Amino acid sequence: MPNLRFALILLSCTASPVVAGDLNLKLVDAAGRPVSDAVVSVRPAGGIPAGPIRFPWPTTMIQQNVAFVPHVLIVPVGATVRFPNKDKVRHHVYSFSRPAKFEIKLFGQDETRSYTFKTPGAVAVGCNIHDQMTGFIKVVETPFAAKSDAAGTARITGMATGTAQVTIWHPLLRAKDNELVVNVPIPGSGAVSKTVPLTLRAAR
Amino acid sequence: MKGALALTGLWQRWVWRLQSTLTLRMTLFYGALFVGVSILALYGTRMAIETYAEKSIRREMAVGSALFDRIAAMQVSQMAQAGNVLASDFGFREAVGTSDAPTIISALESLQGRFDLQHALFVGVDGTVVGHVPGMSVGEKNQLFDALDMGRERGVAHWGGENYMVAASPVRAPILTGWVIFARTMGPADLRQIARLSSIDLHPRILPQTGSDIGAGTVKEVARNGERILMQARSVPTLVESAPQILVLEYSLTRALRDYAPILWALLGFGALGAVLAIAGTFVASRRLARPIVALEAAARKVSAGQHAEVAVETRDEIGQLARSFNRMVNAVEERERQIAHMAFHDSLTGLPNRTLLREQIALALSRHGGANFALFCLDLDNFKSVNDTLGHPTGDALLCEVATRLGETCPQGFVARLGGDEFAVILPDGSGSADQTGRALVKALAQPFDVNGHRIVTGTSIGIVFAPQDGRDATELLKNADLALHRAKDDGKGSHRFFESAMDAEAQARRAMEIDLHDALRKGELELYFQPLFGLSQNRVTAFEALLRWNHPEHGMVSPVQFIPLAEETGLIVPIGEWALHEACRIAATWSDDIRIAVNISPVQFRSSTLNSIVLQALARSGLAPNRLELEITESLFIDNVEATLGSLHSLRALGVRIALDDFGTGYSSLSYLRSFPFDKLKIDRSFIIDLLEHDGATAIIRAITTLADALGIETTAEGVESSEQLEILRAEGCNQIQGYFFSRPIPAGQVAALLEKLSGDRLAA
Repeated sequence: MPNLRFALILLSCTASPVVAGDLNLKLVDAAGRPVSDAVVSVRPAGGIPAGPIRFPWPTTMIQQNVAFVPHVLIVPVGATVRFPNKDKVRHHVYSFSRPAKFEIKLFGQDETRSYTFKTPGAVAVGCNIHDQMTGFIKVVETPFAAKSDAAGTARITGMATGTAQVTIWHPLLRAKDNELVVNVPIPGSGAVSKTVPLTLRAAR
Repeated sequence: MKGALALTGLWQRWVWRLQSTLTLRMTLFYGALFVGVSILALYGTRMAIETYAEKSIRREMAVGSALFDRIAAMQVSQMAQAGNVLASDFGFREAVGTSDAPTIISALESLQGRFDLQHALFVGVDGTVVGHVPGMSVGEKNQLFDALDMGRERGVAHWGGENYMVAASPVRAPILTGWVIFARTMGPADLRQIARLSSIDLHPRILPQTGSDIGAGTVKEVARNGERILMQARSVPTLVESAPQILVLEYSLTRALRDYAPILWALLGFGALGAVLAIAGTFVASRRLARPIVALEAAARKVSAGQHAEVAVETRDEIGQLARSFNRMVNAVEERERQIAHMAFHDSLTGLPNRTLLREQIALALSRHGGANFALFCLDLDNFKSVNDTLGHPTGDALLCEVATRLGETCPQGFVARLGGDEFAVILPDGSGSADQTGRALVKALAQPFDVNGHRIVTGTSIGIVFAPQDGRDATELLKNADLALHRAKDDGKGSHRFFESAMDAEAQARRAMEIDLHDALRKGELELYFQPLFGLSQNRVTAFEALLRWNHPEHGMVSPVQFIPLAEETGLIVPIGEWALHEACRIAATWSDDIRIAVNISPVQFRSSTLNSIVLQALARSGLAPNRLELEITESLFIDNVEATLGSLHSLRALGVRIALDDFGTGYSSLSYLRSFPFDKLKIDRSFIIDLLEHDGATAIIRAITTLADALGIETTAEGVESSEQLEILRAEGCNQIQGYFFSRPIPAGQVAALLEKLSGDRLAA
């Protein structure tokens, strides 16, 4: 993993010789509690550098204990996500989301299928057998993306200096397409910290 | 004004009548009491019914609204169930996920038919609404979305002027993509259907909270069209929070109470009937109660008018006891009246009729038709006073009773009365024997000795008799004349009877006139003192004069002392006259030579007066006469009663230095014992003995006895009434000291005293 990150940084340095800055976001709800599982994606000033996008986490969404793990998965456009079944029961994974409509029926135990996401956007994944199972796959076009942790923080590094367009997505965010866009000036070096309050829907 | 006055008068008369009859008062009181109680009972019942009815309605309303809740919840959950079925259908979810509107609509319609639902909609999370409800506006659609977005899923909604019961089911594919909405109308008809399940028609309505005049969760009473209506409002779950709806139930309290009206009417009827019965009952009862009281009142009125009255005792209760007590009281009062009347008309000692009754009896007899002839006897006991004094009053009283009995026995046909003291009277009707015989019989009967308390008492009576109607026109005159006759009888010697003569009346009147004249005589100087000499036989000269009163009446001339002295004694005039005589005698005597004394008569009345001593002293002091020249002559009668007092008075007079002579010695109740008790200076032998000297041989012996006795006791003797020389010689021979009488001189005025002394000393009679 450190190797991978290092490679990424190296890559960006070679692509753009300008100095780069970091972004530290803290996401809280209306009551000030940290919001986890929010996806932060950034379009830095000067646009997204060309080249393939790689994230340091696997593009896999496991069905384990009648739940999707991880609950929220960030993948780049064109990535193929594997859906391994680690439960003894069967699952019928489906999505009616516009970026990716698919249906993967009746997996057996330890059976793995995959689906390739070609359109960016948020894809809600469910199981037709177990209604309570939901998971989200966020298909992004930028390498600058991260998921907030349990403390509600997300850290994105090595972005070009200038005003960056930061998009925050959360499945319960009360906004069009569950997205909120903010502009954040990224410094030449060092990190900018920002706390963003989010208005969330009640979980249903 | 006049009308008001008349009304006031009417009212006052009514109040007076009310206060005057017990029956009316009791009837009114108990009638009013019963009516009051009935009204209270009626009022209480009405209150209870009202409370009960209101409570019932409230309970029914609570039940009704609970029913509404249950039914609404049931319908909603039924719709929700249907919605959930659809929302979880994979095909439907796919249609929703792919925004396949025609499929959605067809699916909605399919389920609508299957569950008999009235309306179905689909609302996407982006606000799109699929499906149709008639009259639903865009605003209402937006409101619906907002409510769903806020998480509301069930409740009442108001769309296009209609109320709907709404249930929403979220559709997840797998995230929330929209809601399936099922709705059914909740209009008046539907509500009425629910209301029909309740026992009374609560007229349920669903109204928006805003603009309605009753708050949710409250109950209030309103008046509408003259009816009292109980309204209850409670909030119902609404889909749109900003437009809360309430369920209003109402019921007419007036109508509820109308059902109980028969009970109240029945109660009123029975109350009125009861009041009539109570008034009638009280009237009858109080009349029965008042009747004996009225009878008592009438009887009391009769009694106070002096009539006899008794009331019938009918019961044993308090009123019966009152009647009994009343009768007892009437009898007691009458008995006492009889006693008082008896006391008023009878003598308490003898039980004989008294003077009042006697006078009435006389008046009655005189007033009889034609005037009755009857004789009236007035009796007076002789010497009764001495019986009382010597034997005591109890014996005197007992004697009077005996006398009364004896009078009754002697005159069985007469009317016997006691006039007071020892005076009695008898009325004897004409034709019951001659009055003279009766008079004799009475005198004789009372002359018989009486045995009283172990004493043998001899008394007697004097009687005056008058005849009616000739001796007097009325009781007063008859009694007065009878009294005159009685006095005449007494004067003529006791123990006899006398008939009234008209001369007695004239005499009495003359006596009365003289009494009046005598009263003025002293003041007018009509009285005069005459002096009769007392000749001392051993001294052979005049040694004293006796002063004698003379009355020179301006019309009748000289009045004899025999006539006016008793009158003066009777009237008490003797006291001032005696005082004047003492002063006058002393004054005149003081002009004489020192060896001549003056003798003055002292009447018993004068003697008993407490002032005699001081009068004597004054007379001596004023005249300057030596006390031993004054000689007071008293009579034996002083010793009849109260000897002790008489002796005391004599001693105190003697202490003044005056001489005391005993006058008329030998005629009265002579007792030699008092000669021993008091050392008299002189005895004056009564003239009756002197007159007898020449006619009776024994008279000389009596004179001798007296002079010898007096000599032995050292007392002088004076003979009165000497008229001849023969008498003088005998008296001289028997040792008499002094001579007084016409033989020497009749009484002479003061002016002739000197001449008399001259003459007597001139032809001094040497024997």
